[in-house]
Amino acid sequence: MQNPFEPKILAFLCNWCSYAGADLAGVSRLQYPPNIRVVRVMCSGTVSPHHVIHAFQRGADGVLVAGCHIGDCHYLKGNYMTLKRMKFVQELIRFAGYNPERFRLEWISSAEGVKFAEVVRDFTEKVRSLGPAPSFEASPRLAMGL
Amino acid sequence: MDKCIACGTCAEKCPRKVTDEYNAGLGKRKAAYVKFPQAVPLKYVIDKDHCIYFEKGKCRACEKFCPTQAVNFDDQDREFTLEVGSVILAPGFEPFDPGVYDTYSYSHPNVITSMEFERILSSSGPFEGHLVRPSDHQEPKKIAWLQCVGSRDIHHCDNGYCSGVCCMYAIKEAAIAKEHAGADLNTAIFFMDMRTPGKDFDKYYERAKAEKGVRFIRSRVHSIEPLPGTDDLAIQYVTEDGRITEEVFNLVVLSVGLQISKDTLELAEKLGVEIGDGRFAATSPFQPVQTSRTGIYVCGVFQSPKDIPLSVMEASAAAAESATLLAPARNSLTRKPPELSEKDVAAQEPRVGVFVCHCGVNIAGVVDVEAVADYAETLPGVAYVERNLFTCAQDTQDKMKQIIEEHNLNRIVVAACSPRTHEALFQETLKQAGLNKYLFEMANIRNQGSWVHMNEPEAATEKAKDLVRMAVAKVALQQPLGEMQLGVTKSALVVGGGIAGMTAALTLADQGYPVTLVERKDVLGGHGRKLYSTWDGQPVAPFLDELIKRVEAHPEITVLTKARITDVQGFVGNFHTVLDVDGQRREVDHGVAVIAVGAHSLKPDEYGYGKSDRIFLNLDLDQAIGERDERIVTARSAVFIQCVGSREPDRPYCSRVCCSHSIENALRLKKLNPDMDVYVLYRDIRTFGLRENLYKEARARGVLFIRFDLENKPVVQVASDGTLKVTVKDHVLQRPVVLTPDILTLAGAIVMRESEADELAKMFKVPVNAEGFFLEAHAKLRPVDFATDGVFVAGLAHYPKPTEECIAQAKAAASRAATVLAKDSITAGGVVAVVNKDLCCGCQGCVQCCPFGAIDYLEREGKCEVNQALCKGCGTCAATCPSEAITLLGFSHLQLYAQIDEALSA
Amino acid sequence: MVNATRTASSNPIGSVLVVGGGIAGVQAALDLADTGYFVHLIEKTSAIGGAMSMLDKTFPTDDCAM
Ligand code: FES
Repeated sequence: MQNPFEPKILAFLCNWCSYAGADLAGVSRLQYPPNIRVVRVMCSGTVSPHHVIHAFQRGADGVLVAGCHIGDCHYLKGNYMTLKRMKFVQELIRFAGYNPERFRLEWISSAEGVKFAEVVRDFTEKVRSLGPAPSFEASPRLAMGL
Repeated sequence: MDKCIACGTCAEKCPRKVTDEYNAGLGKRKAAYVKFPQAVPLKYVIDKDHCIYFEKGKCRACEKFCPTQAVNFDDQDREFTLEVGSVILAPGFEPFDPGVYDTYSYSHPNVITSMEFERILSSSGPFEGHLVRPSDHQEPKKIAWLQCVGSRDIHHCDNGYCSGVCCMYAIKEAAIAKEHAGADLNTAIFFMDMRTPGKDFDKYYERAKAEKGVRFIRSRVHSIEPLPGTDDLAIQYVTEDGRITEEVFNLVVLSVGLQISKDTLELAEKLGVEIGDGRFAATSPFQPVQTSRTGIYVCGVFQSPKDIPLSVMEASAAAAESATLLAPARNSLTRKPPELSEKDVAAQEPRVGVFVCHCGVNIAGVVDVEAVADYAETLPGVAYVERNLFTCAQDTQDKMKQIIEEHNLNRIVVAACSPRTHEALFQETLKQAGLNKYLFEMANIRNQGSWVHMNEPEAATEKAKDLVRMAVAKVALQQPLGEMQLGVTKSALVVGGGIAGMTAALTLADQGYPVTLVERKDVLGGHGRKLYSTWDGQPVAPFLDELIKRVEAHPEITVLTKARITDVQGFVGNFHTVLDVDGQRREVDHGVAVIAVGAHSLKPDEYGYGKSDRIFLNLDLDQAIGERDERIVTARSAVFIQCVGSREPDRPYCSRVCCSHSIENALRLKKLNPDMDVYVLYRDIRTFGLRENLYKEARARGVLFIRFDLENKPVVQVASDGTLKVTVKDHVLQRPVVLTPDILTLAGAIVMRESEADELAKMFKVPVNAEGFFLEAHAKLRPVDFATDGVFVAGLAHYPKPTEECIAQAKAAASRAATVLAKDSITAGGVVAVVNKDLCCGCQGCVQCCPFGAIDYLEREGKCEVNQALCKGCGTCAATCPSEAITLLGFSHLQLYAQIDEALSA
Repeated sequence: MVNATRTASSNPIGSVLVVGGGIAGVQAALDLADTGYFVHLIEKTSAIGGAMSMLDKTFPTDDCAM
C-alpha cells in the first residue's frame, strides 16, 4: 500500500513576530502537523518573490510567509513591502496556472501562538486536500517565464 | 534561578491552581508559574502564598520533576544595601477597584473592568483571544463601556482627577472587539466628555464612530442591574435632553481609572517624597520629573495620570536628570567587556560542530536525539557531533569552548531551543573560543519540534533531522561578519530656541556636551514668550528669563540666532550641517540633532476674528488681563469659543491645551470680577489629568458651559457699533441661546507651517505627518526618536502640548541623544546589507524601500550604496533588488536558497 | 513646596536605583545604562513589563503591546 500523501510546506517567518509566535506555540504545547519547515528571516520583507518561486520549483506543496501585523514590523514598514510583493507572487502563481491556495501570507504576532498553530493546521489540511503540487515543468508558463 | 531552563515542567506538575493576576483574575495559573510566556527574565517561580508545600509541608512535586534541580525550597528573602547616586521612581498605578460603586453590580460575572477586557481580547488571555463573556462563554452581541469609573468622581472615591487614558482605551477596546466579533457586534460607550487630546487620537475616535459604527452616548450611567432569568444586564441612563432610558447589554465593561497604590504612597513616605493633589508625587510644571527631594525623580503615572508615550518620555527625562546630576561619575561604575581576539577562519573549509540538546526530556522525550546526532555526522562539512543533556548549561559552554579549539571547528550548529532566547548565549561562547559569533546557527527542535509534535515522535525526529540539515547548509555558507567602529562627534545641534530647544540644549550641555543652538528669529524664547502662566497658575516669564540667561551664559552652548539650516550631510555620530547665520555661511559638525522648531498659533478666519478689538485669542487675552486692559476691566460678560480650527475636517486633531487655557482665563476673569457672566462654548471639555480641578473650580465659581456640535457651530455677529452677538444652540434646552458678550475669546488651534517643517524633514531624512507635525519612530515606545538614528524631536513640533510636557520631552530627547554621545564609537556592520556594485544597475528600488534612509545613490558611479551605520538589517532591499545585487549578510540569497533546497530535499 | 535645587556633589556615585520595572522604569534604566551609569532596576513581581504587558493592543495605532 502506498503511503498517504504528506505535503511539504515551507514557511518563512520573520524573527520578531511570527517566529516568536511559533516559539510561543511550543511553549504553550499546542500541537500542529509536522509537515512544516521553517526558514527564519529577519523581516518578512527579507523574502523576495524569487525565494517563494524557488521553493515551488524545488517541490514545495505549499509556501507560507508570515510577518508582524501591519504597523508592528520591527523595521517599521518592512511588511508593507511584503504585502506588495506577496500580492504580486499570488498573481504570478495564478498566472502560471498554479493554484494560488498553495501560497499563504499571514500576520502573526509574538503573542499569537494559538493563531500560528491554527494557521499551520489549516494550511496543512488545505494543501493536503490539494494533493501533491504539479511539477514545475508541468506548468509551462512558469517553467518558461521564471 | 540560574539553573531554570524555563521548560515549564514545574508548572505542569504543580497540583495547585491559583487565580492568575496577569489575566486580571479571569484565568488560572499554577503555584509554580511564569508570569507570562514572554516574561523577562524567563524563569519560573513558586508562589509561596499558595504553594502546597509551604502551606502543608508536603508535595514538592516540582522539585521532583525539575530536570535541572533548579527548585530550591530553602530560598529566603534577602536584603541588599545599595549605594546609588540617584533614585528614579516608576512604580506605576493600580487600576481602580469598582467594587465601591454599589449600583454597578461589579460582582456580576458579566460586569468586568477594562483590564479584564484587555485580557479577554488578548490571544494569550484566558479565552485565547475569543471574545466571549465570563458567565457562559457565549459571544456577546452587545457590549457597553462606562467611562469615568473611579475618575472625575469625589463621591464614590477620592479621585477628582481625570485618568486621561480611559476614553482612548475604551474606543480601542470597542474597535478591536468589533474586529474580533464582526461588524454586527453592537458597542456603546457611555461618556461625559470624550477626551482624546493626543496625537492622532481624534482621528481614531472619528474612525471608530464613522467607520466602525461604535455608538457614543453622552450620559453618566446611574445603574447597572442584572436582568432576572438571563446573564444580561440592564443599563439605566439619562439622555442629554433629560429622558430616562434603559438598554440591555450582554457584557458591561467598566472603564476604570488609574490610581496610586497604598504601597507606593508608603514608599514615598519612607523616601520623604512629598505627595500632592490626587495622591500623585508633587512636581512643578517647570521641573516635571523632579520630586520634592533632591536626587529623587519620578516618571509615569506616579507623576500624574498619563498614557504610555508620555510615561516613556518622562522616563527618559528622569534618566536625563539623573545623568546630569551624576555627570562627574559617568562611566565610573559601568563595566567594560574584555577585548577578545578572533581567529581568521575565512579561508578555511567549513568544519562544522553540531551539538544536539536533550533538554532533559523536553526534546529527548519525543525526538530520537541519538538518531539526529548520528544523522548529523553524515552531513557534508560536519567534523564533530555530540549530544548534551543541557547544551545551554554553563559546564557545557566550557566544554564547547574546549571542543572548538581541540577539533579546530570553525562553524557551530546547536540543535536545541529557539535562537530568540539562546542565540546570544552560544554566540558569547563562540567569541570566547575565538570564533566570529556569526559563524553560528540554531536548529529549533524544541519549541518548533518536540513541543508541538508530542504525539508524533517519528515525524518530529524526521523534522529535527531536516532542521539540522538546513542549519548545517546555511552555516557552511556563512562568512565571518565584521563590525566596524565609527567615531562619534561628541556634540549636539539643537534646532529651535524655544522652551523645548533651550531645555534640550541645557540638559546636554550640563552633562558636558557642547551644543549649537540654532534659532530662526533674533531672540530666544519661541512660543514661550507669549505664555502667561502654566495651567496651575505659575508665571512663565520669570522661568523663561532664567532659562534664556542660563543658555546664553553656558560655556558649552553656542547660540546662533537669525540662523537657518541649508544642508545636512552625514549620519548618526557624524553629521555635517551648513547654516546661514544672518547671511553668513557657517558649518557645524555634530553627532546628534534635536528638532524643536515649535509650532504656530492659528489666526482664525471665522467667528469675526479681526473684525473687532473685543475678539481675542487666548494668548492675547492673557496679556490683556495681565495689563488690566480697559476692555477687560469694564467687561460685564465674556464668552469663550473652543476648538477654533481644531477638530475640523481639514484639521482633524485636538490642540490639547486650549480647554485648560480657556478655563484658566475664565477663572481669572471671575476672580477679577466675580459678577462677570462667563460662558465657555465647547464640544468636549478636555481637562485631562489634574487639570480636571480647574474645570471643577470653574463650575463652582459659576462659569457656564454650553456644548455645541460641529454641525451647529456658534454664530458670531459684530454690529456696526462694535457690539458682539453670539448665538449657540443649547443642548439641554434644545433652543438657540443668544449671548451679547463684551469680550469674546477664541481658543485657536496650534498649527505647523508645513513648508518649514517639510524642508527640515527632507534634510534630516525624517518624516512629518499629514498635519505637518514631525513623526516619531514609534507612537508608544519611541516618542522622541526618529527612525533615522541620531535625530530626535521635542516640543510643539511633535504635537501641541503644554509647557511641562514640552520640558519633559526636551529632556527626554536630550537623554536619548546622550545615549549616542556617551559612546566613543558606534558599531556598524554585523547583519547588514551590502551592494555588489558589479551587479547593481542603479535602479534605486532599494533606496525607495529602505525604511531607514540607509541607502544612497552615488550619482557619479550610477550605483547604490548601503550606509552600514544606518542599516538595521531588515533585508527588504535585498529582496527588492531585481538582480540580487544586494546581500543581507547572515541571510544571503545563497543561504536562503540552500535552506530551501535542504528543507525540500528529503 | 517643590523646588528642589540641585546640590551638585563633585564626586557623586555613578549608579542609579530605578524602582519599578514597567515601561517607564525599563526605559529610564536603558537610557541610563546607555549613557554610562550602572543601574539597579527593582521590580516586585517576577517579570518586568508592568501594566503594558497585560494590554492586548495599544491606541492609536493598534500596535501589539507585547
Ligand atoms: S520584522 Fe516582522 S514583518 Fe518586519
